[in-house]
Amino acid sequence: MVRRNELMKTSIDSLLLFLLSQQPMYGYQIIKELEGRSQGYFIFKEGTLYPALHRLERVGLLIGGWQTLPNGRQRRYYYITEKGRSILVEKRAQWQDFFAAMNLIIQPVKT
Amino acid sequence: MATELSYYLENLRDNLKLDPADEKEIITELEAHVEDKLQELKEAGLSNEEAVERCVGLLGSAKMLARQIYEAHSQGTWRQALLASTPHLFFALLFAPRWLVGAAWLPVIFGSFIAIVLYGWYHGKPTWLFPWLGYSLLPVVIAGLFLLYLPKGWAWVTILLYVPLVLWLLCYITIKAIKKDWLYSALMLLPVPSMVGWFLAMEQGGIFTGFKLERLHDFGPWVGLSFLVLAITVAAFIRLRRRWLKILALVTSGLLTSTMVILSSSKLGLFAFIGLVLLMLSFLLVPALLDRRIRHSNQQTAN
Repeated sequence: MVRRNELMKTSIDSLLLFLLSQQPMYGYQIIKELEGRSQGYFIFKEGTLYPALHRLERVGLLIGGWQTLPNGRQRRYYYITEKGRSILVEKRAQWQDFFAAMNLIIQPVKT
Repeated sequence: MATELSYYLENLRDNLKLDPADEKEIITELEAHVEDKLQELKEAGLSNEEAVERCVGLLGSAKMLARQIYEAHSQGTWRQALLASTPHLFFALLFAPRWLVGAAWLPVIFGSFIAIVLYGWYHGKPTWLFPWLGYSLLPVVIAGLFLLYLPKGWAWVTILLYVPLVLWLLCYITIKAIKKDWLYSALMLLPVPSMVGWFLAMEQGGIFTGFKLERLHDFGPWVGLSFLVLAITVAAFIRLRRRWLKILALVTSGLLTSTMVILSSSKLGLFAFIGLVLLMLSFLLVPALLDRRIRHSNQQTAN
């Protein structure tokens, strides 16, 4: 379980960029979306998610914006930037190469 | 929102130690998150009290969450690092090539420092302000030290009037810095131990028996080097994310500069080194203890 958490922490930036490239989302929505789409594999805590979102915003890969709901509450939505999209292209290629290489190793050798 | 959650968010805010504007946004964002989570738990069948208790449990330690968020925000840019280390670099350049000749232009320099400080003080007190603030307090402290050289009768009268005023000013500014973050107070006071050390090293005879500006030239390269160490420390402080690393940087610079003072002076020895290190540690520990006391007092008032 500890090793799984470490894997998740290294992949969170990519996961957030992938997700937000499809539509803007707010923090709670991101957690539920990741959990739902991964069928329960990616369960991120607030202490992992929000620092990652704020870090990506500070380096310009995401931008946050407040939206006021009908009940007066405010939600912070995150949008991917152009810089974020170009980084995403690189990361997508890196992950595809990584998975291809891993599959070559993990697959049992056919005799 | 339930008291327990309000207390949790207040605890989180107390531990964030960021700019007030950033803190407000972060807390508002987390409040919205918490309300969504509570809604989900209530829809799952929990009562309000059970949902609040579960929610707080799932969020984990407020201190830990605050620290993780702090680390995402705490790293300054290289530009901020350069701005913060500029006063130390300026003094390093002043002493190292022995440019310091006469004191007539010092009021102009300190006047510029004070202008920059006033600008930063009334524009959100950014991190880069605190090293500048430390230097702008120097003329106040130096004037007090030189009062000790006045003829005896005048010296006592001036000290009785001057010292309480200076102490009040230093306490006021230090407490303001501590309320923002006690580490900023330590950053502000960073050059003081080495300046005290250099002052002692340059004394001709015993303490306060004689001081000559010309002695500064003898120690120039060492003094310049010590300010360069302070400049590098401040830049590292701004760029480092983790608080314990920032504290380590401050402690390391104190040890290095104290060592330089001792190595360059033939008359200061182990006791002086220990004294300087204790002075440096007090400038770290006292703000931390005061911060704890202020927060404890605020919590008691809130309760």
